[in-house]
Amino acid sequence: MSPTQILFWSLSVLALFSAIMMVASKNPIHSVLWLIAVFFSISGHYILLNAQFLAIVNLIVYAGAIMVLFLFVIMLMNLNADTEPQKNKWLKIAGVIAGGALLLVFVAALKNADLKNQIAQVNGGNIGLISNLGLSLFHDYVIPFEISSILFLSAMVGAVVIGKRE
Amino acid sequence: MNAIIFSALWGVILMLAGVFIKNKTSIRYLAIIGAALLILADVFELYHPETPIFHIDARNMLSFNVFGLEMNAIAFISTLLYFLLSSKDIEKVGSNVAEYFALIFFVLCGVAIVTSYSNLLMLFLGIEILSIPLFILTGSSKKNLKSNEASLKYFLMGAFSTGILLLGIAFLYGASKNGSFLIEDIGAGKNTPSPLMITGILLLAFSLSFKVSAAPFHFWTPDVYDGSPTVFTSFMATVVKGAAFVAFIRIFSNAFGDLQSKWELIIAIITASTLIIGNVTAVFQQSVKRMLAYSSIAQVGFMLFSILGLKFINTAQEGIALYITAYSLATVGLFAVLTKMNDHSLEGFNGLAKKQPLIAATSTVFLLSLAGIPLTAGFFAKYYMISAVMQLGKFYWLIILSLVCAAISVYYYFRIIQAMYFKEGAGTEVQFSELSPTFEALLVLVSAAIIVLGIKPDLLTNWLNLIYF
Repeated sequence: MSPTQILFWSLSVLALFSAIMMVASKNPIHSVLWLIAVFFSISGHYILLNAQFLAIVNLIVYAGAIMVLFLFVIMLMNLNADTEPQKNKWLKIAGVIAGGALLLVFVAALKNADLKNQIAQVNGGNIGLISNLGLSLFHDYVIPFEISSILFLSAMVGAVVIGKRE
Repeated sequence: MNAIIFSALWGVILMLAGVFIKNKTSIRYLAIIGAALLILADVFELYHPETPIFHIDARNMLSFNVFGLEMNAIAFISTLLYFLLSSKDIEKVGSNVAEYFALIFFVLCGVAIVTSYSNLLMLFLGIEILSIPLFILTGSSKKNLKSNEASLKYFLMGAFSTGILLLGIAFLYGASKNGSFLIEDIGAGKNTPSPLMITGILLLAFSLSFKVSAAPFHFWTPDVYDGSPTVFTSFMATVVKGAAFVAFIRIFSNAFGDLQSKWELIIAIITASTLIIGNVTAVFQQSVKRMLAYSSIAQVGFMLFSILGLKFINTAQEGIALYITAYSLATVGLFAVLTKMNDHSLEGFNGLAKKQPLIAATSTVFLLSLAGIPLTAGFFAKYYMISAVMQLGKFYWLIILSLVCAAISVYYYFRIIQAMYFKEGAGTEVQFSELSPTFEALLVLVSAAIIVLGIKPDLLTNWLNLIYF
């Protein structure tokens, strides 16, 4: 096993483990901290794909800014393990059945997938470098880039409408 | 392209108008003018595809065809009618009138995107632009607890279904040959799809079923439609639902058309459960608003027939265009009446025919059209849908089931007609907040349009076969 592969597998294990812990932990603060761990391991994957810009942006925006906001909200609302609402037993059973059904569908669809020859291009390729990213963003993908501004504008208008005092 | 840019621009204009214009009536007129200009811009592009006002190289992100542009036109015309009928009630929802209109124009921008995308990225953006303003409009009645609950529910469920959509897009990207988001590249010429692709198709079908509120992904619909202010329910149930349906059809015909044998059974099951759940649950509703929410689920069951019949693309497209038109006209009209009423329960309609004969007559036309009675547009809409599946030569059980469900729907639609004509009203109480002669004239116009389309549906379907000279 080459060092790249060792890195890839350990990062994947870390990402999956943190994601499961994020869902499973009772304390919301712990959930947020595990989510930050997920973002860090995914940024590691980006670096393996030679996409440094995405890796850094992922860290700054998600692990940095958004998670800090999450923590603020949780601390302001004073949530902890005790305020976790007790869920109905039947609700839990229904959730398990629904989730299990989705898992069954996925396993049935993906059990024949042959991905051995289609692994990601690690440690090579230069599509993730910032100059190439900028070129393709403002050339091939300029329409989605501009149109997403409408999405953000409507979200901003909405935030003001919801937040403004009547 | 005209419609996308124009609706976004007009949304910005209305947003800024909120700062400079304090008079609510002028803002309302500004919105009505905008909707009319939007129709003109769209129809102009339809007839002059080479020289639209805004000529932009979309780099394979968007492609405009007759079907998409005409579905745009239908959505914009319904919006204009909706503005003319109910815009006064939008003023009453809250103090941010200009912003509500701006958000509606942003939704229209989303409509124009989902009718013309040719790239999965644009599908995602279009669906998001379609839904995010709606989350806000749902919660716009801030003092009303039900409205707040509906908004939060819609937002959480909508975000979840968007996540499923994105996961599906990621699978399809992985399944495409050289990593491409273009919908033509995904399924063309593949008779044996890879497992990744089947998973992608499944996830996309789930997510889009959620957006059009097909069972078993419909649970948000009654609560959201019931909780949000009635004016915005009307918009959500007509324009937005129709546009989401066009997105559904576009991806299933352009990307997955060759694989129909792989997914048709699952769509048939979704169709059957939508028909049964929508119609049977609607029977038990006491509130007319909630009943219309369930009836909108039931109508989606019929619209889903067009996806099964996609092999015969002409019948399917003609059918869905007619269905969306008939359904939008009738629903916009019915909700406009409902918005003006003080009592939304079935008893509120008691004895309406004696006090307001005109309103009762037009409402009857809308209800007959929704039930699919001949001589109304709803009849031919259902006829086209069923004939699209009949041509397929399979799923006869589904056709029989749909006929049974149509019969059930007659029961709950006729209950309102019965209340209006054969029951005594409670006496002197006022049933309507305010009615103007223009409002009544517009209702007559809408019901006349429904009857004309019911007699000559080819007025609309021939338009779809428009050939450029």
